[in-house]
This record gives sequence, C-alpha cells and structure tokens, in this order.
Amino acid sequence: MTKGILVFAHNNRDIDYAKLALYSARLATEHLKLPVSLVTDTSTIEWMKECGTYDRSTELFDKILTVERPAPTNYRKLNDGKEPSRVLFTNQTRHKSFEITPYDKTLVIDADYLIFNDNLNAYWDLEQDVILAKNVYDLSGQDRFQYLDSYISETGIDLKWATTFMFTKNEKSKIFFETVKNILENNEIFSQIFRYNYMQFRNDIAFSVANHICNGFQEVSNYTLPAITVTLDKDKLVDVSNESATFLINDASGSRLGDYFACSVKNTNVHIMNKKSLERLVSRQI
Amino acid sequence: MSFGYLLFVNTKHQSHEYLLNAYACALSIKNTQREGYDKVALVIDKEWLLEPLTNDWVFDKVIEWGEKEGWDGRSYMDKLTPWDETVCLDADVLLTHDFSHWIDYLSDTFELFLPSKAYTYRGEVITSDYYRKTFTANKLPNFYSLFTYFKKESPLATDFFTLNRSIIDNPKEFANMFLTDHKPKVIGTDEAFALSAKILGIDTDITHNLNFPRIVHLKPMIQNWPWPANKVSDHVGFYLNDNCELKIGNYQQNGVIHYNEKTLITKELISILEHKAWKKTF
Repeated sequence: MTKGILVFAHNNRDIDYAKLALYSARLATEHLKLPVSLVTDTSTIEWMKECGTYDRSTELFDKILTVERPAPTNYRKLNDGKEPSRVLFTNQTRHKSFEITPYDKTLVIDADYLIFNDNLNAYWDLEQDVILAKNVYDLSGQDRFQYLDSYISETGIDLKWATTFMFTKNEKSKIFFETVKNILENNEIFSQIFRYNYMQFRNDIAFSVANHICNGFQEVSNYTLPAITVTLDKDKLVDVSNESATFLINDASGSRLGDYFACSVKNTNVHIMNKKSLERLVSRQI
Repeated sequence: MSFGYLLFVNTKHQSHEYLLNAYACALSIKNTQREGYDKVALVIDKEWLLEPLTNDWVFDKVIEWGEKEGWDGRSYMDKLTPWDETVCLDADVLLTHDFSHWIDYLSDTFELFLPSKAYTYRGEVITSDYYRKTFTANKLPNFYSLFTYFKKESPLATDFFTLNRSIIDNPKEFANMFLTDHKPKVIGTDEAFALSAKILGIDTDITHNLNFPRIVHLKPMIQNWPWPANKVSDHVGFYLNDNCELKIGNYQQNGVIHYNEKTLITKELISILEHKAWKKTF
C-alpha cells in the first residue's frame, strides 16, 4: 500500500502558492520521509517556469499533477499583519484529491502548513476511510478563536478542518469526496440547509458538512488528526528554519491592532494564516 | 415480573397539551420499544379526557388519580405504578430508538436509577447550570427526574419516595434547612429527587457515569448557543419523517428527547406517530 502527501497550489496575483507549496513540501519530505506530489494548474506551472521554481519543483515533488483551474469567483479578506486586503481564494479543487492522488493512502496538507515533526506518521495505520482534524489551537495561547471557529453556524454542526486530512482510496472515501463536490456545486442550497454563510466557499465547512452527512447526521467518535496549531493573519512570521518558526504575535489583550510580542515554536507543526509573510521568507530560502 | 412506563397528567394546573404530550410519548414508546418493554400506564385526574384520542389503546393501563396537583403527583409513582419495574417519564418526552437493552441493564444493576447527565441536540454534554443554580449552590447531585427507573418492591426506592413526598409536602422547611445557599422559587421534582438522594446518602448508588440513558434536554439556554434564546424551536427545526425518525436542526436524534415546549406536539406530528403505531401493531 503506497503512502504519500498532496499539496495544492493555485497561484493568484497576490500570493505565490506554488512557492509556499515548495517550502511546505520540503519540510514534509524531511520530517515524514514520504513522497510529496503537487496538485496545481497550467497557469501556475507557467509562472513557476517563468520565475525559476519549476526545475526545483520537479526535483522535489514526486509528481506534478494538473487539474483545471476553477473560475475566479471566490474571494476572502486576509491580513498581512495589520494590512488588510481582499484576495482571490482558489480552493475549489480540494475534492479532487480522491481522483488525482497517485497513492493508496494520502495525507493532504495546505501549502501554508509547515511540518516540523513526524507526528502525522502515527496516523497512517488507522482503519478509518477519511480522517479530519477537529480542533485548532492558537499558538499564542490567547485563544483568539470565535464561536464560528468551532461551529459552522450558531446552531449548526461542529467545524472540522481541511488544513490537514488523510484518506484511504476506497469506495467509502469516494462517497465522501463526491459529497464535498456536491456541496461545492450546490453551495447555496447546502448553506440554507446547514445555515452557514455561503458568500465565501470554505473547504473546512464543505468537509464538515460532508463528514456529518456521511456519519448519518450525527457526531460520532471517529479518529481525528492532531489539533492544528494556528497563527492568525494578524501575526507575522519573521523567521523559519527546518525545525522552528518565530513570529510576532498580535496581542489580543492590546487595544490596537499592531501591538505585538515575539513567540517561537520548535518541532511543532504550524498553520500560517499570514501567507504574505510566509511568502517573503520562503522567497529568501528558495 | 412486569415492566412498563408510567406517565402522569394532571389537568388542574397543567394545560390540556400535557395529555397530548403524554399521548405522543406513549405512541413513541409503542413505535420504538420491543414487545415486553412497550407497556404504558397513565395516571390522570380525569379519565374521560381520553375519549377524544383516536388510539387510547396505547395506554395499557389508566389510573384515575388526582390527589396531588401538577407535577407533585410524581412523588407517588412508587405507589401508583401497576408494574413491578417502572420507568417514569415526563410527559413531554419522545423515545426515538429501542432502549430495551438499557432496561435490562438497569434491572440487573439498580433498584432505583436516575440519569445524571444530559445532552444538547448536538450531542454535547450539558455543563451549564443556567437552570440549576440550586443544584450547584447546594451541591445537590445533578439528577434528571424525567427518566426514573425503580423496582416497586425495593426498600431503597420506598425510602426515597417517602422522603420525597415529605419534601414536596413541606417545601419551605426542607428549603430552609437544606437549600440555604440558593432557594428555588418552587421545589420541583428534580430538586426534590436530588435532595432526597443527598439526605439518604445514596446519590452515588442510584446513578452511573455511562452515556446512557441519553437524555437530550431541549431547554434553550443550555444548547451552547452564542446568544440567549427563549425557545429552541425559534432557532432549529423539528423534523419527524414518516418512519418517525426525528431530526432537530441538522442532527439525527437517537436518545430520550425531552422537548419541553408543550406546543411542539402538533396534530401533524401526532398523525405521523399514529400512522406508524397502526402499521406496527395491526
């Protein structure tokens, strides 16, 4: 049974996701000792060739797989520290993990998820078709999450996280990903039934709803991947190495956005929401 | 050895909706419990009130009794039950699955049993004491009387219900002595049961920490919502399909549903329950 990792990257004018994927793949390869494949689109590949990262990618990635780039319809607000911006969010291809993966068992990670340890290797042998992450943890210890970081809506189901997920390629996981696809294609209808905000398509919500449906509309005690340690987009990544990352954390107790304190993490996987700051550092390292 | 459920309806201080609630509860028992575990007895102050019900056969025994008003009659459950072993349910309860295996377990393990855990409609254990300040302040065991199992001949149950009747008959005296840190406006069945168990020192003997019976408690302020709510039904829908499977919001229910809102039992819902009861029985 083959095992491997998928990273998705669809560039836009604001963020070079391919560059982030290259970095996160390097860390994943180093710590998990498994092949990593890139899922991207032809326009992103063209840009990679133009900016000189494609050759490095062919060396690092096990395979470079292409899918059709979705129409640019999904946007979101992202901060770079205290600078807000509205950016394109090309995340509508994640359900294709099932059909495109070259592996029997696959771990999918976000391009901005940095792996600094081998903890995820402990989950390969679990007998569960799809394993999602259930909890998030604020790296700063300030618990800056809100109600809708725990539930998809005020009266709705638990929010799971698609930042990391693992699946075995079989008939049951196929149904799961077809359900995610169905939600993507009928997002407005599902948002009425499950009462979430459909203005921005989120894989976290689509995966949560699919998981809930596949579990018979109940919370069941399934295995989950480890809690995802998160830094928010108000935080700034200031240094990163093979084992550690250092941040300036936005102080939630302060009255003004822009008050920061330093925080460092070692041997702990981190999801970095401030993609701009990650991109700046990664550019130097690549 | 006979087993059955016991329901109380007293129309003097309770609205007639309670009878409809008890009727729905009895139908849900008939629809979900297997033979031998599906008997229902009703204690009601006016038996003639049953006449308009289409299927009053769902009450295997009807006991006309009106000596106590409102919920106070429930402290006489040990005297009134026609069964050797009884689960006394609140009228505003629906059973959604076959729980006969629970009854077997309770019968093997307890003389008297009260659940000490309840869940939201989303399946989360309720930790809020919004409606239970008296319990927290006076360190009462967190019992839910809406599902009370007991053996009729049990001395323990007899002691428990005897003391309980004293509490219900002398609420001020007991409150002044035992509930000094937070006196409830009225000592309800939950408070009286908890206090009885505490005084008798049996609070750990008559419950367990397991996840059943799975009581889903639908009072609005304990649903872990981010805002205050007056009624659960203002915010989530109740959906009963033709097979009497119940969804609340986006959650399939598989427990003992204590819905609280008496008006939730509509004619349409009754009709669905009746239809299944007919199909199952005849």
